[in-house]
Amino acid sequence: MVQERQTYGLIRRKGAWSWLDVRGRRLGAWAFALNRLTGLGLVLYLVIHLLVLSLLTQGESRWNDFIALAKSPAFLFLDVVLFFGLLFHGLNGIRVALVGMGLGVERHKTLFWVLMTIGAVLLLLSAWKVFSSPAT
Amino acid sequence: MATFHVLIIGGGATGAALAHDLALRGLQVTLVERGEVTSGTTGRHHGLLHSGARYAVKDQESARECIEENMILRRIAPESLELNDGLFVAITEEDVAYRDLFLEGCAQCGIPTRELTREEALRLEPNLSPDLKLAVQVPDGTMDAMRIPLRFLATAKHNGAVIKPFTEVVAILKQGNTVTGVRVRDHRTEKEYEIGADIVVNAAGPWSEKVAAMAGVHVPIQPSPGVLLALRGRLCNMVINRLHRSGDGDIIVPQRGLSVVGTSSWVVEDPDNLPVPEDHVQLMYEKGAEMVPMVKQAPFRAAWSAARPLVGERGATTGRELSRTFKCFDHADEGVEGFVTITGGKATTARGMAETTANVVCQKLGVDAPCRTREVVLLPHTAYYVQPD
Amino acid sequence: MAEQTVQFKVFRYKQGERPSYQTYTVRVDPRTTVLRALEQIRQEQDGTLAFRHSCFHASCGTCGMKVNGQEVLACVTNVLELGTPVVVVEPLDNAPLITDLVVDMGDFYARYQPAGMPMIRESEFLPDSQVPEGVEHHMRLENCIECGLCLSACPVAGSDPLYLGPAALAAAWRMVEEPRGRDPATVLAWVDHEHGCWRCHAAFECSEVCPSNVDPAGAIMALRRELTRRKIGQLFGRR
Repeated sequence: MVQERQTYGLIRRKGAWSWLDVRGRRLGAWAFALNRLTGLGLVLYLVIHLLVLSLLTQGESRWNDFIALAKSPAFLFLDVVLFFGLLFHGLNGIRVALVGMGLGVERHKTLFWVLMTIGAVLLLLSAWKVFSSPAT
Repeated sequence: MATFHVLIIGGGATGAALAHDLALRGLQVTLVERGEVTSGTTGRHHGLLHSGARYAVKDQESARECIEENMILRRIAPESLELNDGLFVAITEEDVAYRDLFLEGCAQCGIPTRELTREEALRLEPNLSPDLKLAVQVPDGTMDAMRIPLRFLATAKHNGAVIKPFTEVVAILKQGNTVTGVRVRDHRTEKEYEIGADIVVNAAGPWSEKVAAMAGVHVPIQPSPGVLLALRGRLCNMVINRLHRSGDGDIIVPQRGLSVVGTSSWVVEDPDNLPVPEDHVQLMYEKGAEMVPMVKQAPFRAAWSAARPLVGERGATTGRELSRTFKCFDHADEGVEGFVTITGGKATTARGMAETTANVVCQKLGVDAPCRTREVVLLPHTAYYVQPD
Repeated sequence: MAEQTVQFKVFRYKQGERPSYQTYTVRVDPRTTVLRALEQIRQEQDGTLAFRHSCFHASCGTCGMKVNGQEVLACVTNVLELGTPVVVVEPLDNAPLITDLVVDMGDFYARYQPAGMPMIRESEFLPDSQVPEGVEHHMRLENCIECGLCLSACPVAGSDPLYLGPAALAAAWRMVEEPRGRDPATVLAWVDHEHGCWRCHAAFECSEVCPSNVDPAGAIMALRRELTRRKIGQLFGRR
């Protein structure tokens, strides 16, 4: 462990903002930033998801109201955003895990684009599925 | 023994080695430098650890200094050198004709040499010109121009010296004809203060004339810049020198992942804000390519100028006619006490320059302490920044 | 040569004062680098401007700074090639500020020391060439010039002050890769913790900004691979 020596009081350190500040940065940093964002987004989704499920304890009508809302096009779009988050975080996670074990380090950019191409196809398929499902 | 305080002006190789020497002799040392340490001439040189062979014919005093210090540096700073040796290559018949004079000079100065045939040399360095006639191997090397001085400073600091970068001397304080200290401006705060000293040493390299003028004395210094060119990639493993009387673009020093081609030579009044004349840069390409043709194709990395502090009165035309040896001036000879200037010399000979100067300083102060810098192995360069001020 | 004027917006800070930006107008030609422009400002306009520099050719690593938001060595950053009418110059991030563009490299170098500071390596260029008599093998200086650009560019170093950082980890890997008689286990133990090689999250900015082709990210991943290999080996009773 290293102790930090701060003699002058002033240090330019951006804290967590440095995760997201991609100005002038390249692919790896964008992937990193997006990974953090989608990760936070998925945690947020999980919380909302549990809150929504808790509506079940408040009776059938509250739940049915929500289901009606969930079938609106705007809400379906949010589902696609969720899929994007899941796909990006999951697929980039595969890349980070592989690279993190020392596999394919030199080809991390190629790996990124291959996985993202797979992700884009899956995202389009899922969007099609979401919007074309019969509104039962 | 009362501890005397010596103040050194200039944080280049000379000042660094002097701080180390004086600290080892038990003196209290403060070194001030107007910018970062090694930001003047020291950091900008081509990084050649001189064998002295370059000077073996024309400037034998300098050549002897070089070979002696070369061997000492191998002992006291081993990790900061590339042990790669050097070749003096003959490309033309004129170069070949210079061989005998060269070998004789090296022998006179105690510089070991080994003659190589064209084939032997090309096997060592396949990128040499196919026009190569013969080559002579000498104990040149590549040094880290910044980190060797940092090691002197690190060791000096460890032994109690105080190093103050970003501290510019604005006046030299005198009482009557005796220098008593300096007034400095701290560029971290832009506040001025005074530092008293028993002796002030001017080790400001090409700036030493300006510094001496503040004390009202004259130092005959001719700032003589040279252009250097850095190319990406190591075009050679060994230092490649042209086998001839020194001239423009006659050396290629491999340095980390770069190859440095040097140098030109002219004279200026002001060692600050040196221009990088375009024709000199082109000359480096042309002359460098005569030895290693790949110089012309290698990707450009940097071109810059560095000012040598040559000892000699103004009026020189290119600086090549002036010796590369060093000189220590005790200004008591001109009626100013407590003020010494060390200048000239080369990065390779900085330790020797420091020894000579420290002898003068100790003699003036009546301190009887032997020089120990030939044996003491220097601390790693990282220790300079890691040790608290 | 064709001269132009370019505006330099430079970060200024003197101890005890508030940081600010100051703008200077500088004449530049096609060869002017950011470092030479700063020298020109100091010489001709403002003697109080402080910055670090030494070698002028990307071999020493002292003139690392942020130019238009990017970590670069000022000595090899051509002003006109930047192509912006205003050039913004700031000190590196994630290191204590001393003044203006000068940062304290003490912490940075302190993190290097346990790596055993590999400074020289066995030569790797011109494999055909033979070693001169009296020399066991050519030694050359390491690629890493300890400029600190990687630490400034690393998004993780931005949020974890205790992270060892790319440069120190790259030096650690160099030692493991080429131990030359020393025991790599001590260095591996040193990097094997949450602020060590496992903290990296593969943003690869360190390797992108490295002016010397060190590829610290690759070195960090190599350390992880080596540690993983050893740990799996231990699970099966091997060392």
